[in-house]
Amino acid sequence: MKDVIRLGAGAGFWGDALDPAVELMKHGDLDYMSFDFLAELTMALLQRQKLKDPQAGYVPDVVSYMQALMPLARERGTKLVSNGGGANPRAAGERIVDAARQLGLPGLKVGIVEGDDLLERLDELLAQGIPFANLETGETTLAAMRNRVVSANAYIDCSGIVAALAQDADVVVTGRVSDNGPYVGPIMHEFGWRHDDHHADRIAAAITVGHLAECAAGVTGGMSSRWAEMPRTGEVGFPLIEFSRDGTAVITKLPGTGGRVDQWTVKEHLLYEVGDPRNYLMPDGVPDFTSIQLDEIGPDRVQLAGIRGRTRPDTLKLIIGYSDGWIGEGMMFFPWPDALGRAQKAKDTLMERFRRLGLEAEAMHFDFVGINMLHGPAAPMPDYEPNEVGLRVAVKTATRDEAEKVRRACSNLWIMGPGGTSFGTPVKPRPVISCWPTLVPRAMVEQHVTILEA
Amino acid sequence: MADLLRDIAYVRSGDKGNVCTCGVIAKAPEFYELVLRTVTPERVKRLYGDFVKGAVHVYRLDNIHAINVVMEQALGGGAPTTLRLDQTAKSLGHALLRLPVAAERG
Repeated sequence: MKDVIRLGAGAGFWGDALDPAVELMKHGDLDYMSFDFLAELTMALLQRQKLKDPQAGYVPDVVSYMQALMPLARERGTKLVSNGGGANPRAAGERIVDAARQLGLPGLKVGIVEGDDLLERLDELLAQGIPFANLETGETTLAAMRNRVVSANAYIDCSGIVAALAQDADVVVTGRVSDNGPYVGPIMHEFGWRHDDHHADRIAAAITVGHLAECAAGVTGGMSSRWAEMPRTGEVGFPLIEFSRDGTAVITKLPGTGGRVDQWTVKEHLLYEVGDPRNYLMPDGVPDFTSIQLDEIGPDRVQLAGIRGRTRPDTLKLIIGYSDGWIGEGMMFFPWPDALGRAQKAKDTLMERFRRLGLEAEAMHFDFVGINMLHGPAAPMPDYEPNEVGLRVAVKTATRDEAEKVRRACSNLWIMGPGGTSFGTPVKPRPVISCWPTLVPRAMVEQHVTILEA
Repeated sequence: MADLLRDIAYVRSGDKGNVCTCGVIAKAPEFYELVLRTVTPERVKRLYGDFVKGAVHVYRLDNIHAINVVMEQALGGGAPTTLRLDQTAKSLGHALLRLPVAAERG
């Protein structure tokens, strides 16, 4: 049995680059390649696609990625684990099997993990008395929102991945497993760990490295505060994890690739989208990030040791997506001289147009692009005359027709606006699916594994 | 002499629902105390004005000379709902770098 397993990151989001994954697959001597394709609002978008077409609803990239990587992975004995099944892991698994057949990979096994999708079971669970209180707004019951719900997916642990790997799956595709699950699953499977007190620290270590790797280039030089000193970020190397049985790990990347791995890239990503760092609540366990000992042990090599944590919680995070009206928006730009003055006049003109058109807004927001769009009240007004300033407006409405008025009003300013008003392409109204974060008892969520063979 | 947080710290910013989280990492261990004194919940609330409507928490990570700033009700509703362009708060946390560094003790 191995004492160190090698895991590579294959994707950090839906839309990531494939070439660093291919490079790492070819030269990383990997046991596993793991992929995180999902973000908070992805599930609702995918669920809507599935409503229109029962064969859709997975992340399309998952099939093209597996197509590109399966032949290389088979030659090298590398297994591929992703959550790209999204709202339809079964359809994704079937398409991956089709692709394996076309590529001439007979006997290749695809493990499908389902059970995170609670949409069909929502009424049953409500009837059992689970209130699904909103963790953010404090709203105590979902009932008033029930008829607007479009998706309900629990963040499940890696048990299904472990079960699929135990059944010799070469490729595993899941729904809404946690972002780090595609990393934690292979580690738990290889070392035979269980979700108990005895393994809590080591599982916490696996979650921590999964967290560090799950955004791929996020830990190797992407998104860096030290962007100016990051070499060749367009040819960045994705992270390679060497995870040891004792719960220590090294984060590195292939020699010759762009970016860097050093204490700063690791520290920055460790704190990415984290709440209380002593309690990083995940479905597989609860790492304490204040326990981590972090050392640079070589060029592009950072070691993690000493990680402690608690066993997994009894509840799972559940994100319910619900239809929440529309957003209409527009943007226009103004030249020196007095660019900001022109933008302010245009804002007044827009407000007059909104009144004339009888716009019914639930909320309205203006930005001066180049002045305060990104930092709002935290940005001081400039003490110089800007070369150009933009005006951005965004309006929340109940209906598409109301949102369309925003586009109309912005177009009116082509001639009604101040001299020099310049436009890009008018922005189409977009429907809003909001997230309702809540909890569901773990016992109510059961994972199912199906193995398909090419 | 450090004037602003940008001189002594790196940041990485992101979202969780309607919460903006921002790691603030001292550029050197000797700056950590200054970072702690510079980034307080009160100063963060004042900096962001009505962009951050909820509570601000500052968590210490002495092991890596960093803090984690968690700002509640900070995104205008969260990524899918917000009317802001920076839907996932990748930019928002960078405004912390504007904070004037607190005076040295003593």
